[in-house]
Amino acid sequence: METALQPKMEESRSELIQLVSFKLDQEEYGVNVLKVREIIRMPSITRVPNTPNYIEGVINLRGKVIPIISMRMRFGLPDGETTSQTRIMVMDMEGELMGFVVDAVSEVIRISESEIQPPPAVVNSAVEQECLSGVINQTERLLFFLDLEKLISREERQMFSGVM
Amino acid sequence: MAIECEDQELLEGFLTETTELLEKLDDDLVALEKTPSDTDLMNGIFRSIHTVKGASSFLGFELLVKVTHKTEDVLNRLRRGELVVTPEIMDVILEAVDLVKLLVSDIKGGDIIDREIDDTIAKLLPFLSENAKEATVLKPASSEVSAAVPTPEPPSAEPAAQAAPETPPVQASAPVKASEATPQVKNAPAPPKDADKKVDDLSDNSTVRVDVKRLDDLMNQVGELVLERNRMMQLNTDYQGHGENTNGGAVFGEEFSKLSKRISFVTSELQMQVLKMRMIPVEKVFKKFPRIVRNMARDLGKEVDLVILGEETELDRSVVDEIGDPLIHLIRNAMDHGLETPDERTATGKTRKGTLVLSAAHEGNQIVISIKDNGRGIDPDRIARKAREKGLITDEQLAAMGQREILDLIFLPGFSTKEKATDLSGRGVGMDVVRTNIKKLNGIIDIKSELGQGSEFILKLPLTLAIIQSLLVEVEEETYSIPLAAVLETLRVEEREFHTIGGQEVLKLRDSVLPLMRLQKVFNVQPSERSRIACYVVIVGVAEKRVGLVVSRLLGQQEVAIKSLGKYLANLPGIAGSTILGDGRVTLIIDPAGLLESSDGGGRIAA
Repeated sequence: METALQPKMEESRSELIQLVSFKLDQEEYGVNVLKVREIIRMPSITRVPNTPNYIEGVINLRGKVIPIISMRMRFGLPDGETTSQTRIMVMDMEGELMGFVVDAVSEVIRISESEIQPPPAVVNSAVEQECLSGVINQTERLLFFLDLEKLISREERQMFSGVM
Repeated sequence: MAIECEDQELLEGFLTETTELLEKLDDDLVALEKTPSDTDLMNGIFRSIHTVKGASSFLGFELLVKVTHKTEDVLNRLRRGELVVTPEIMDVILEAVDLVKLLVSDIKGGDIIDREIDDTIAKLLPFLSENAKEATVLKPASSEVSAAVPTPEPPSAEPAAQAAPETPPVQASAPVKASEATPQVKNAPAPPKDADKKVDDLSDNSTVRVDVKRLDDLMNQVGELVLERNRMMQLNTDYQGHGENTNGGAVFGEEFSKLSKRISFVTSELQMQVLKMRMIPVEKVFKKFPRIVRNMARDLGKEVDLVILGEETELDRSVVDEIGDPLIHLIRNAMDHGLETPDERTATGKTRKGTLVLSAAHEGNQIVISIKDNGRGIDPDRIARKAREKGLITDEQLAAMGQREILDLIFLPGFSTKEKATDLSGRGVGMDVVRTNIKKLNGIIDIKSELGQGSEFILKLPLTLAIIQSLLVEVEEETYSIPLAAVLETLRVEEREFHTIGGQEVLKLRDSVLPLMRLQKVFNVQPSERSRIACYVVIVGVAEKRVGLVVSRLLGQQEVAIKSLGKYLANLPGIAGSTILGDGRVTLIIDPAGLLESSDGGGRIAA
């Protein structure tokens, strides 16, 4: 992830990017706004049997059926309650729409790419490590910059479409 | 060599027309063999091949011109009565037509391959020599031979005298060529087989020809829909304007209910219409079969009448594309295993000629295709013995099987009653192909067989794969949808009626034992607090198998449009897709075939 980001940083060190920041448990994360299609409240979710626990199920997004993934479950965090703040971020994952359940969506922030620091070597979960592409350390907040396309790794995609 | 054709449109037109002509040609040629005196048919065949020749020479396809030209010559002689239709001639003509198909498919593929065409042409040549009548074994016409020879030649005596010594060399050289050709054919990458494969590609068009009338109907219906939309908008405006009016609500309600009825009517009509556009007659597949049956009958030394019924029955393109293979295997099976040789038939007091009936018909939302022969029927004892010899089943399993279950054994991969594999059958693959394809289409296979009287294979297939009739069921608190095409019947039972055999729950149903599968367990559904005494069993059929799905409640029947779950959730075992119900909720569609498969894999249904 580090290597993937570096050439970009060199090219345009001061380029501004926009992030959608969201909360999960105690921490704050950010994803590239260009990947986010929409943010919706929790609709009724249809459970899909025999899937990993982080697959919450599927929803009807205006006539399209899309899978919903619980970020808490994916990161191995304790299951949180659905509150009025809970949102689904519908993201474009290589052409397919997918929803991610987060505790709350806070705001869209602008930062210059130079502010993104390489991720620290140790993060509490391997999954988190996998899709963490940088850390934004501002005076009053710490933001983890995620690349969610790495969240569903290649092997897992195969697992879904093969053995499972 | 790439095709250089300036006018792409012209080329496409040529390909469409030629493909159609060739498809019809096969059928016509086989028909001609049966009724050689039918001059209309003869002329039609001649015209077809002539058209192909003309068009290909115009576009400059040399190889195609050569083959069609020689074929046309032979046909011309047949037409003029200088030759008489015999199976030998037909074999050669059919081979030539196969070659033409192969060449056309090359052109379609965009590359002209320099294929070996001389072998086939060499086979045609003997029939073109003046004395061809002698070469072909003909009893009644032999006396006319001498008279026939000079006829095509000019009347002048001198050239005739010259021609006379020339004739023998032609005659002599032709058989030599033919005999040379025969071993070559065997060494060379056998063109007819290759052709068979290519021919299938030919039928795979991505464009649809739609009847103009259907298009007009569609336009009318869309027009109606637009009217209803206008009506709806008007209603909305009226309602906004008279919102305060006390009477407004009631009037609006009444009008709105009328409107929704009309819209529902128009949309379902529209849906039918669009569905119809995707429909093509099953004839498209059926018309290949007379040719196949003829060739097989000749190879096997059997006599057979192929009767085709209901070829005008329409079904979805996607289904038509998939049923070709299984049907070929079933027909092969009927020809090879079902029908006896003429001698065997006369010995058992049957007519020399066997009958093979291929029929298609609509039955509700399904199409039923049946392949029926009046041959020897399937002997369940023999099937059981073979299956045990091959180690496909154990004695215990066999003991628990009914007649039906034993017949179903023929679908096991590796099963064959033949001692030795032949070209046609015996490797134990065919029926497995049938099963796999039918399963893919959510279809059902039924076997009826009476020893000595014949057997019948019945395929029940859904009309379309995009929109299905489904049965909504409740499993504890969750709703699932089961394709109605797979549902055979539903039963209300009490759990104490279930039995357990070797850890497998079963239900005694009339004279058979039905294995059960609890959807609550298969799908890990949270058991609800409410305890029920009665539950429902939905009996589903997948290809030749039957299983009872245990559900909590039946909710009713609904027509649903299948939505994919996306590539991340594709191929979940037992789930075919999803659909959105009227209230906007997503419901998963059960894939009975997948359910059975996943349970097969584990040996037992996970209990």
